[in-house]
Amino acid sequence: MAKKIGVYVCECGTNIAEKVDIDKVITAVSPLKDVEVVGKHKLPCSEAGKEAIKQSIEEHGVTHVVVAGCSPKQHELTFMNVCEQAGVNPYLFQLVNIREQCAWVTPNGEEATDKAIRQIKAAISRVRYHTALEKKEAECNPDVLVIGGGIAGVKTSQLLAAPDRKVYLVEKASSLGGKVRRFEKLFINMESGSALIEQELQSLQGNENIEVLTESEVEQVLGFLGNFEVKVVKKAEDKELNFNVGAVILATGFDLFDPKGLPQYGYGKLDDVYTSLEFEEMNISDGTTDGKILLKNGNPPESVAIIHCVGREERGYCSKVCCMYSLKFDRMLKSQLPAAKVSHFYSELCVPGKSYQKFYEDTKGMGARFIRSAKTEVTSNQKGLTVTYETETESKGDLVVDMAILLPAMETSSDAQKFAEMLNVPRDEKGFFVEEHQLLSPVASAMEGIFVVGCARGPQNVAESIVQAEAAAGKILSALVPGRKLELEVKTSEISETFCTGCKTCIDVCPYGAITFEERRRISVVNGVLCHGCGSCAAACPSGAAKLKHFTFPQLYQELEAVLR
Amino acid sequence: MNAKGQKAPVLVIGAGIAGIEASLLLANSGRKVYLVEKTSYIGGNVIKLEEVFPSMECATCLITPKQEELLQNQNIELLRLSQVETVSGSFGDFTVKIKKKASYVDSANCIGCSACFDPCSVEVDNEFEERLAKRKAIYIPCTGALPSIPVIDTENCLRFKSHECQACQEACMFEAIDFNQQDEELQVKVGAIVVATGFKPFDAGEITQYGYKKFDNVYSGMEVERICASNGPTQGQILLKNGQQPKSVAIIHCVGREEKGYCSSVCCMASLKLSHFMKKKLHEVKITQFYSDLSIPGKAYQKFYEEVKESGVDFIRVTVAEVSQSGKGLSIKYKTEDGKESTLAVDMVILNPALEPAADSAKLAEILNIPQSEDGFFSEKEPDLTSVATAQDGIYIAGCAQGPKDIAETVAEAEAAAGRVLSLLR
Amino acid sequence: MVEQFTPRIVGFLCNWCTYAAADLAGSAKMEIPASLSVIRVMCSGRVDPVLAATALLHGADGVLIAGCHPGDCHYREGNYYARRRFALLRKTVETLGLDSDRFMLAWISASEGQRFGEITNQFAEQIKKLGPNPMKKNISL
Repeated sequence: MAKKIGVYVCECGTNIAEKVDIDKVITAVSPLKDVEVVGKHKLPCSEAGKEAIKQSIEEHGVTHVVVAGCSPKQHELTFMNVCEQAGVNPYLFQLVNIREQCAWVTPNGEEATDKAIRQIKAAISRVRYHTALEKKEAECNPDVLVIGGGIAGVKTSQLLAAPDRKVYLVEKASSLGGKVRRFEKLFINMESGSALIEQELQSLQGNENIEVLTESEVEQVLGFLGNFEVKVVKKAEDKELNFNVGAVILATGFDLFDPKGLPQYGYGKLDDVYTSLEFEEMNISDGTTDGKILLKNGNPPESVAIIHCVGREERGYCSKVCCMYSLKFDRMLKSQLPAAKVSHFYSELCVPGKSYQKFYEDTKGMGARFIRSAKTEVTSNQKGLTVTYETETESKGDLVVDMAILLPAMETSSDAQKFAEMLNVPRDEKGFFVEEHQLLSPVASAMEGIFVVGCARGPQNVAESIVQAEAAAGKILSALVPGRKLELEVKTSEISETFCTGCKTCIDVCPYGAITFEERRRISVVNGVLCHGCGSCAAACPSGAAKLKHFTFPQLYQELEAVLR
Repeated sequence: MNAKGQKAPVLVIGAGIAGIEASLLLANSGRKVYLVEKTSYIGGNVIKLEEVFPSMECATCLITPKQEELLQNQNIELLRLSQVETVSGSFGDFTVKIKKKASYVDSANCIGCSACFDPCSVEVDNEFEERLAKRKAIYIPCTGALPSIPVIDTENCLRFKSHECQACQEACMFEAIDFNQQDEELQVKVGAIVVATGFKPFDAGEITQYGYKKFDNVYSGMEVERICASNGPTQGQILLKNGQQPKSVAIIHCVGREEKGYCSSVCCMASLKLSHFMKKKLHEVKITQFYSDLSIPGKAYQKFYEEVKESGVDFIRVTVAEVSQSGKGLSIKYKTEDGKESTLAVDMVILNPALEPAADSAKLAEILNIPQSEDGFFSEKEPDLTSVATAQDGIYIAGCAQGPKDIAETVAEAEAAAGRVLSLLR
Repeated sequence: MVEQFTPRIVGFLCNWCTYAAADLAGSAKMEIPASLSVIRVMCSGRVDPVLAATALLHGADGVLIAGCHPGDCHYREGNYYARRRFALLRKTVETLGLDSDRFMLAWISASEGQRFGEITNQFAEQIKKLGPNPMKKNISL
């Protein structure tokens, strides 16, 4: 079918017209091949202007549209809509920037006019090679897989589950609740962690939209956003479950750095040197000591040292929560053993936020001693456990204590690597899962449709983990609406089966893992759901098989050739 | 759902990064959003920054796609120069009265060409530029601010002070200036409310020992952010009052920490960011940071600190610091934890202040009937369990409106608030 | 004696950063060389060496490829590939007897309108000094 190009030049009041000789432009482009009609408008983006363009398109049977005016960043969408309303595919359109990048930056009128003509001619050449592109949609499954039944996993499940959205909550242990279930107290209100979990579990029980799978492990996850195929094994029954979901939330929590690797703290060698989790276990009412804080010899301690930042230097980051929970420990000790002396050995005090400093000051007011120490060691002699410390100004000291509690760095759980591989979600050099964007997309992972929340993502406290659990729910509730198809990026890449040589170069360069190799046909295939349209593959492809829609080589070449003519 | 089976709209108060993120999530799910913004621009405090930590990414590049997405989203009605007046009702059915001040510029006709600025004869301090530059009575806060439609500042505009002046109207090609525009009062019904009103920096002038507004070359953190900004009052040139580049800079942390009683969580990182930026721009500059405790929590921040330290920035832990004039420059008298006193001569001092809740927070708390803590931040219902739910069902808080925090935490809270709304408001 | 000539410069600008900076330069009414013709791409990583070389073969006196600063790429890594390809391209054109200074790769963020102006003007000056593209006289492809 013959192409009929309609060219509409904007005067933008006088913004363009005062520099660019619009009539000269019209005279220059009118004779070009396929140009059916050329018009000028004072303000094409106004209601009147848009109407005029629509009418012109219909009147002249225009098939391709070029508008010359302001930046596409301003009005590309506006005129694409106009095209659509006038019956022209919105991608058979090009907006030429002759304002911000021409009239406004070229003081000499003649030069500005020449430049405008050049750019418009380029657009006309380009638009001839545009192809109609249709909106893309994909079916999506609104259900969600939550891996990890700790507080984050439980909270996100509650927010997501609905009659039209099922949640599968998979937990490897025999009960839900993760670490928080074994915390007798939570800072700063000193309320029970186990009671909190009990409460949450009760509300879960009644919820028929959440399928809780304890003593179960996720074995395989294949697919992509909207369409994941999941395989779960119920260990106790040796049964395999297969189901589909639209999104996956990884909430596998944390483990502590093992202080055994740091001999200066005597952990694992000396009696009564405990990690924070061991101390928590001691305090829980149904624990081995029925909640009583006791030494190995069965007596309560009279003086306790709490040693911060254990493993901080080795791991290279501050675990954020330890200063705060050390204050919690302080209060727990004081509450059970009012006469006990508690001394903290720390490097930097981390009490960020509106409430934490006050908690620290109040705790200090209860008699806690804080010693800033650059080097802390725990040894044992006739007197008992001795903590030796060295301040930043190099003055040394030592303190004899009954018990030492080490606050080790927080790490991802031991099965993090398994999930990193299974889900193809990268981890950083510290072992934490990497966000899609550190600042703007903190709970999404680099793989679309897979979210990481809680301590799997980085050290944080209960409130922050819950916020992230809710945030992931928010993102899923917004993107995967039951009954609504997923709207996909239109200007994606596609790979010609004919020209693909199977070199896999494109697979390496794709930042989104959107290209997979199909063994049967020995070609690379682009997943339109995951492709963001950057064009790296198109640029890298040695055979020209990979093409980025709307930015193909012929289209760019035409534009290039026309500006240089 | 209302009688027509449509989902109830949501009100978001504040169009900073938290408000923008919450609005987008809510709008993309299919809900209508009323986004109320007190000022004439969106982007809040983030668009004042040149770079953000720890990646040192360009703040504008980061947030512009989100801003553009917001402005083009059909489900979001942005109400600039607007404030919430009254709220009644309950979760699922709030009635909100919004006062929208007239901008006197018709957004349908204005194309953002800025031809109206030059003819205006009024020049006043530009608050956005921390008063380091001037603006006209008809203005946009800075180049690139969105939306690009200017507003008229009626407090300073000659016409509104009963003088005859039509300079801007005469210069406009598009009949976009309409002096007859009226303030509006809107009434909307929404199902839920998200409060994302952000923060303002503590006024360093309240603490006299730092010489703020007394001595030349003592700046607040926000002023320096604007000085560093490539679209700022000095186009990113870091200069002293005498026009020369500083050779030595001191950055003082925790300004206002004692007065406010809390750690603002982000200032250590902000100080590191400024050091990094200044060293990049002024290779020879000597930077010294005066701090009490280093707050660099989380997986990514310590590495950045170590890199900055490695680049030659000094860190001195102090219990007290005082700034005084010394000849043509400044001198910092400080005490370290062991009681020793010392001084350091510098050309420039940057004070990094605490973060406070936005102005008018108390008024808003009253209107919404949600409690504030004594520091003025909005209170969450169960502080240990989540930060976004308030005592009022259906009213959520996100970002620095709840307490000082960084961008990642702010965005997570905005998404969490949206998550709560999308889950609970059916 | 190099005769004064008006260079033809082609700029491949990435949509998210440099194109926005160019618009900002426009809003600030800076002066940008009239000889610069802009071709918008979504990412500097889209610009393959063949396209850049084609520009030169078709008579461009200078070719500018500009995108987001490393680490800021809207598509995460595209600009890293641009950087690598560009390094290779420069080496290759030298073997063809062309001056590799006719190519420039720049990182210009969305807020750097001023810098866009500086770089484009500098590049135009540089190209003026290099003189017209010798290939212009040999067009017989």
